[in-house]
Amino acid sequence: MKVKNRGALLGSRILDLLTIAVVAAFLFPYLFMVSSAFKTRLETFAYPPVWLFTPTFEHFENIFDNMNILFYMKNSTIIAVCSTLLTIFIAIPATYSFARYRFRYKEGVAYGFLFLQMVPGISIVFALFFIARALNLFDTHIFLIVVYLLWNIPYAIWMMRGFVEGIPVELEESAMVDGASRFKAFRLITLPLMAGGVAATAILIFIGVWNEFSLAFFLTSTNARTMPTTIAFFMTHSGIKWGPMFATATIGTLPVVIFALLVRRYFISALTFGAVKG
Amino acid sequence: MNGDIRSRRRWPTWLGPAILILPAFAVVFSIAAYSAFSLFQLSTVDLTFGEPFRLAEGVGLQNYQWLLTNEHSTFGATVRITIHYLLGTLIPELLIGFAIALLLNRKMRGNSLFTALLIIPVVLMPSMVGLIGRLYFSYDGLINFFFESVTGVRHNWYGKDLALVAVILVDIWEWTPFFILILLAGLQTLPVEPFEAARVDGASRWQSFAHLTLPMMLPLILTTLILRFMDVLRLFDVIFVMFSGGPGTATTTLPLYVYRTTLVQRDVGRGSAASVMLIIIIVALTVILIKLRERIKFEA
Repeated sequence: MKVKNRGALLGSRILDLLTIAVVAAFLFPYLFMVSSAFKTRLETFAYPPVWLFTPTFEHFENIFDNMNILFYMKNSTIIAVCSTLLTIFIAIPATYSFARYRFRYKEGVAYGFLFLQMVPGISIVFALFFIARALNLFDTHIFLIVVYLLWNIPYAIWMMRGFVEGIPVELEESAMVDGASRFKAFRLITLPLMAGGVAATAILIFIGVWNEFSLAFFLTSTNARTMPTTIAFFMTHSGIKWGPMFATATIGTLPVVIFALLVRRYFISALTFGAVKG
Repeated sequence: MNGDIRSRRRWPTWLGPAILILPAFAVVFSIAAYSAFSLFQLSTVDLTFGEPFRLAEGVGLQNYQWLLTNEHSTFGATVRITIHYLLGTLIPELLIGFAIALLLNRKMRGNSLFTALLIIPVVLMPSMVGLIGRLYFSYDGLINFFFESVTGVRHNWYGKDLALVAVILVDIWEWTPFFILILLAGLQTLPVEPFEAARVDGASRWQSFAHLTLPMMLPLILTTLILRFMDVLRLFDVIFVMFSGGPGTATTTLPLYVYRTTLVQRDVGRGSAASVMLIIIIVALTVILIKLRERIKFEA
């Protein structure tokens, strides 16, 4: 019996190690990227790779002093924050409607939103390019902010609907019995209860817009360029400037990684449009 | 009196929900309709990118006809490459992801932290992921270093034969955690009783996996596959940054084909026609997959 226990313990230790190895393997490319941001050019290209080195901050100084990276961060922030807030404001009433009312064609309309969400950005980006030119809105923040709503609003509705449906309708009803209007019952009862879900949805939309490449790349040139599209600046005809690129990638991915870990509780339902609760 | 009664008459029941949906509906569908209209219009003209729109010549549906039937059209080859890309990413991601989810589905200290860390590859900026991939797969890069340590040979990942494999491997790294996280969440919500009953009846681990775990997980596996399928089919940024569809046409999937036709060959009409077909393919296949899943769910 004792021997068998020891065997089971050993087996479980092996599985523990295996688990750690698997997670480490998935993190490794990311961590190597971050470490490369602190390497000199020679160290980046060393073969075999250099594992131990004295960190240098020259690339970070470079992107802040010479490549104006703060300007692109500012653009990304403006566009992501505005588009996210607009999305949430427009989507909350619609979400409430889908979650709480019964009406004809409800699921049809909901799926209509979902199908629009599927449209690949790259497939309409050139049409949007012509539209932006015609409206004189090419390379402006507002155009990107509005265009992203096409994907963000359906996503927000599908995400938040699950959260609202998870709140017992009886709570609202009892408030209405006590004389509150439907709106007041929503504002005082349901809204505070769905706040966590709304915050998670907002963060995930923010991440999506912050990372978005194809629309931002083809619909901006100098004025409204965002962080992900700055990679073009690192691909020069004398080769790729790896150091500054790694430094930019490190800074650009840091807020997203922090945000994602903050909302990890909601992440599963976020990835599946609310189809699966984490 | 009369007025009083009229003012107390209830609104039609659909009015409330309709008003609440209206802003979202108006915004989303007007952007969509405007884009769809312009896209379709562009797909019926002959126009070089960079020229003003007034120079566009209407050609009806000839762009579609050319893409589908002309011998110089590479649309068919593009569809083949896209299918390879889809199968090359989805199948390994599902198998590896499910295996790792099973491994993680047990009690261990710090397990929730570990799973949280798996989110990182999924949320990284795709354009930066593409650039990282480009460096790691270079001849003197990380991947060749590992290959050489194990097999003794280095490969030319930038070449025609392996470029598609390289972008597939990047996708597998980035998105296998997606399968792990979702399937793990599913495994953790499975009921305990059937498994205990099976153990009492003397079922082996493999039997309870094949007859209990797998059928119960099937609907979730299909949901995950559908979500990934939509994403892989419209993936642009990573491939664009790594190889922009090259060398030759080795990594030209449908989204890359749209870009290359419109901006590299500067043929707005054919590029837009390809875009329309890409949209139709995605929506049609997804509808079919959703229907299929409903049916399997029903039988299970």
